[in-house]
Amino acid sequence: MTTPATTSGFVAMGLPGVTARRCDHICAFYRGPDQRDAVLLPFLREGILAGDKCICVMDDPDTDRVIGPLSDTLDIELSMRNGQLDLLGSDTAYLPNGYFAVDEMLEFWERGVGDAVQQAGFGFVRAVGEMTWALRDLPGVQHLVTYEARLNRFLPRYPQVILCLYDLERFTDGQVLIELLRTHPKVLLSGQLLDNPWYTEPSEYLSDLT
Amino acid sequence: MSAPELDLPHQLGRGLLSTMRSLLVLGQLMTESTGEQQILDLTVTAVPSLARCQVIGIQRVGGATGSPELEAQLGLVGVTGGRIELPDAAWSWAYPLGGLAGHFGHLVVAADVEPTTEEQFLLRALAQQSGAALSNQHLHAQERTTAAELSAVNERLRGTVGALQRSMEIHGRLTAVAVSGEGRDGIARAVHELTGLPVAIEDRYGNLGAWAGPNRPDPYPKDSPSRREQLLRSASRSIRPIRDGGRLLALAHPQGDILGVIVLVDPAGIAGEHELMALEHGATILAMELARVRSLAESELRIRRDLVDELLAGADEESTLTRAIALGYDLQRPHRVLVIEGHGRAKDNDAFFQAVRHAAREEPAGTLLVARGPQVVLLADCEADWESLRNAILRELGGGRARIGVGERCDRLADFPRSYRQARLAMRLLAAAEWDDRVVRFDDLGVYRLLIGNEDLGEVERFVQRWIGSLLAYDQQRGADLVRTLSHYLDRGGSYEATAAALIVHRNTLKYRLQRIRQITGLDLADPEICFNLALATRAWHTLSALRG
Repeated sequence: MTTPATTSGFVAMGLPGVTARRCDHICAFYRGPDQRDAVLLPFLREGILAGDKCICVMDDPDTDRVIGPLSDTLDIELSMRNGQLDLLGSDTAYLPNGYFAVDEMLEFWERGVGDAVQQAGFGFVRAVGEMTWALRDLPGVQHLVTYEARLNRFLPRYPQVILCLYDLERFTDGQVLIELLRTHPKVLLSGQLLDNPWYTEPSEYLSDLT
Repeated sequence: MSAPELDLPHQLGRGLLSTMRSLLVLGQLMTESTGEQQILDLTVTAVPSLARCQVIGIQRVGGATGSPELEAQLGLVGVTGGRIELPDAAWSWAYPLGGLAGHFGHLVVAADVEPTTEEQFLLRALAQQSGAALSNQHLHAQERTTAAELSAVNERLRGTVGALQRSMEIHGRLTAVAVSGEGRDGIARAVHELTGLPVAIEDRYGNLGAWAGPNRPDPYPKDSPSRREQLLRSASRSIRPIRDGGRLLALAHPQGDILGVIVLVDPAGIAGEHELMALEHGATILAMELARVRSLAESELRIRRDLVDELLAGADEESTLTRAIALGYDLQRPHRVLVIEGHGRAKDNDAFFQAVRHAAREEPAGTLLVARGPQVVLLADCEADWESLRNAILRELGGGRARIGVGERCDRLADFPRSYRQARLAMRLLAAAEWDDRVVRFDDLGVYRLLIGNEDLGEVERFVQRWIGSLLAYDQQRGADLVRTLSHYLDRGGSYEATAAALIVHRNTLKYRLQRIRQITGLDLADPEICFNLALATRAWHTLSALRG
């Protein structure tokens, strides 16, 4: 039985032996769509079963096909109708005006997560973002790591977990990977959720950037 | 120089533990990495976080460093790595990047101050992790290559098996058609069903023999003979079917002899390998079918020829009748033997034979016939209008010449040789008497028939000598033409005009020749009795000529 994160402080990720903590900002590294789905779908399934608000932003254009397997055990239509599950495309969430802006993105989460908790009354929010949009040649995408660093300041404001999905087959630049390690306090890698020793506090990291 | 030693139990402090966890995370990330460059980037980027030193570079095995000295030092430290000397650096070290799949190179670092033992331990551990990840990557790449090769081989094999299956399906379907005896129609239908495209089967001249599928053209278009021949030549030279506008053609040509053409009607050009294969198989089966039909026709022709030969030579009645019945032929009907000579605009015995065969079938006058050199011998099984038959032959030939000798009626098999002799005699008389091309019935030969029927040819010979012997001798000695002149003159009732025209000589020449005839024979050509005997003598001479062949 899924235990609500609101009461226990632990967040079941849906993977064997993997439990997150409230306010975790997790960088999940995977290789290809199959491994992505192996992380994403259990995470959402656990959230829906626990009554959590789930906000899922996908870069894969065929979102329905990606989350389709959830319908085997859940009434996804109902979850979407009653506002428990929001499915969004990356163009809508990260790049609404054809560019990426850190402040606007943080406001997006503020609205989405804040409304879910304060107005809709959800006790906990699971947010997941597929980050391959950042590889597009669009204005602002170079601020990805700034965004990831600042997101760490947003996490404690609400009962939530944010899961960032990074495809190692697409993010091939090792330097970028190190930057991502430095901006996520938790790393989900090879089915293990690790406290990330590379993590650098946002204030330090952002001052290094400037 | 050896690697710095590390006394872990004493030095494993809180900071080092954290750093080792960093290494662990990094190692896992490297293991998950998708390319060598990603691993090397991670390695290089991580170094400053692990030790106070700078990365000089990662030197791959066989890669150029730009510094022969460095390359030489790396060669010396080899797979174990070790201290090296670099300008402007108090301390520098080459850490080996190696693993199960081999040695990939060195991580070369340098510092103004020699790093602590812990830091050097971490650098070595980082290099080991990088080496292990590179090794993994290398093995995975090999595995992927092998898998890709296997996959490609499997794909090719699947393609081959698929093509074989399609080929077998096509072959099976068409073989079934061939065995079932559905003929050209069945073959066209099968190829149409296999390809979904309309199919035509044509003879070598472009005449439609069978069609399967929609939109059959009416009338069926036909190329000019020259274009057709050109097309067939092109198709003969090609191993695969050839395209002619909106049509794909394949020849049915066993042993190079074109028996027919199978056509796939494909104006949109949608036919692919499968359709071409069906067309080719169809052409093969069509060749077999047409060869079988031709072989049957040739066998039947041969049997018919043998039968006619036997009848004309005087056959054993019982066996001949049996053979005729096997051919579906009633020999016990009355027959006549006809000998037919002629030719079209070109002298082609085969074309003449075919013209006679078609005309005899259409008239109808009979179906048993053989070629004997330039002549065709027909066993006519009815009393046809022989002049009509002659005209039909001329029509078939498209002009030219045709003459027919007709023997007497045969009521029994034993009569055939006689009727044949009579037909040949009639034909020879026709030539000897220089008659125009016509039908000569032995029955109508009148006095000739009497002469031929005379058993004592010596008496006929004496009669000829008595009346025109002097003229024959004169002609022979002088190379003259008096007997022939006399014959034409008497045959035309003494008309100078008609005789001169028939002999193609001037009237005065004719008059001169007749005067010579009167002088040599001493006979009066105005005397009806004398004229009768002379006419009889010239006909007897023709008869003797005909009988002597």
